[in-house]
Amino acid sequence: MTAALWQQIAEIYAYREMLRNLVARELRARYKGSVLGFLWTFFNPLFMLVVYSAVFSHVMRVQVENYAMFLFVALLPWNYLAQSVQQAAASLVQNAGLIKKIYFPRAVLPLSVVLANLFNYLFGLGILIPALLAFKIRLTPTLLAFPAVLAVQTLLVAALALLVAAGNVYFRDLEHIVGIALMAWFFLTPVLYPLEAIPAEVRGYFLLNPMTPIVDAYRALFFYGAWPDWGQLWRTALGGAAALLLALAGFLKWQRAVAEEI
Amino acid sequence: MDAIEVVDVWKKFRIYHDRVYSLKERFIFRNRQKTEDFWALKGVSLRVPRGATVGLIGRNGSGKSTLLKIISRILYPTRGEVKVNGRVSTLLELGAGFHPDFTGRENIFLNASILGLTRREIKERLDDIIAFSELGDFINNPVRTYSSGMYMRLGFAVAVHVDPEILLVDEVLAVGDIPYQEKCLNRIRELQKRGVTIVFVTHNPKQVEELCDLAIWLDRGEVRFAGPAKETVRAYAAFVNTAATG
Repeated sequence: MTAALWQQIAEIYAYREMLRNLVARELRARYKGSVLGFLWTFFNPLFMLVVYSAVFSHVMRVQVENYAMFLFVALLPWNYLAQSVQQAAASLVQNAGLIKKIYFPRAVLPLSVVLANLFNYLFGLGILIPALLAFKIRLTPTLLAFPAVLAVQTLLVAALALLVAAGNVYFRDLEHIVGIALMAWFFLTPVLYPLEAIPAEVRGYFLLNPMTPIVDAYRALFFYGAWPDWGQLWRTALGGAAALLLALAGFLKWQRAVAEEI
Repeated sequence: MDAIEVVDVWKKFRIYHDRVYSLKERFIFRNRQKTEDFWALKGVSLRVPRGATVGLIGRNGSGKSTLLKIISRILYPTRGEVKVNGRVSTLLELGAGFHPDFTGRENIFLNASILGLTRREIKERLDDIIAFSELGDFINNPVRTYSSGMYMRLGFAVAVHVDPEILLVDEVLAVGDIPYQEKCLNRIRELQKRGVTIVFVTHNPKQVEELCDLAIWLDRGEVRFAGPAKETVRAYAAFVNTAATG
């Protein structure tokens, strides 16, 4: 099993050009035909920010200072997770024609979805950073921790993407269940509220949620100018890496029958 | 060493009379899920020597395409084993993954990468592919503006430039007009000379005699005859004739 797993990883690497092209296709084709085209990649988060800051500074007042930015720094990475997992669920079924006709490591399909959303998140930083400055939030050297946090999150996102993609081939309801599950998960993760808002006696349970330390880390480095909790992040990284290896092993097993189940 | 070794391969397909995908239906119809097993391959064994061209013939539903898909790893055998030594390229469909809004040139990169080439390999072959496709300046137009013939030609041009050690072909040789078909056959002969191992599925016995060294006749998932191309074609033709008259 382990030998097959490493072979699978080597094969995905051999198909990196396919991965690259699928990501490019995804990013370019998404807004094809729209007037603003690729600029939508920036307008989406920008409009989101405008709406949130309008709502939370005029309509619904929140105790947290600069709440729009407090939310925005966590919402962008959340969208990276949610959109990746949601789109990955459909990725194999949508490409049935390709899967039935050509051999390639099937994991390339959900992984390309993850990478495309990763790039979208990075483009979103083009809005986030100027917005932080506009709201007079000081940028500090803690931003250097960003790649580490992003890497940890990506381990987790890729693991989930592989699992839901393979699962959805055998059980088509999964795609819809994923949508609901993501919504529940969103409210259980401190995106809309600070971790401190959770009563101390149940906070331990919230920390079992792997997105909690990740969102917390992003918020620390962007919003509070603080370093993330390295111990927490390290444990999440180990968990994420283990999850990704398990997901790859499971995917390897399930992908064998994909061409006939699809 | 053999390029391909197929050892006692069995393949079962489960035929669902009413395919049930969703939870609700699974629950409601849990006792009514009617399936039937269909054995597409029943203990097929064969060896393809390195550099040989082998034709697979047989009637519809004899398991030819299933065998080809198993060798190319699109499907996995239910039982048995397939050993393949060398880089495989399968031609089941031309222009896989083409995006209509991308230009011919961009689609070459997309399609060739799906067939497993790296960026450097694609760049090395780009000029040859464009020349072979005979698309000229159209190569910079979006593929959606192509005629179906142009589309197939581009797909074929990419496919034959993958430079595999083993090429599996499933009846895609009927591409374009007659001169272009001739060009494709020439390309296949060129690959043969270079020592590429080729397995191809066809309904056309004449093509088998012309191109193949060996041929294998499959009938209802079993090897009925395997040997030199001419002998297999003769045996198959005799069988088809008796079946038609008897």
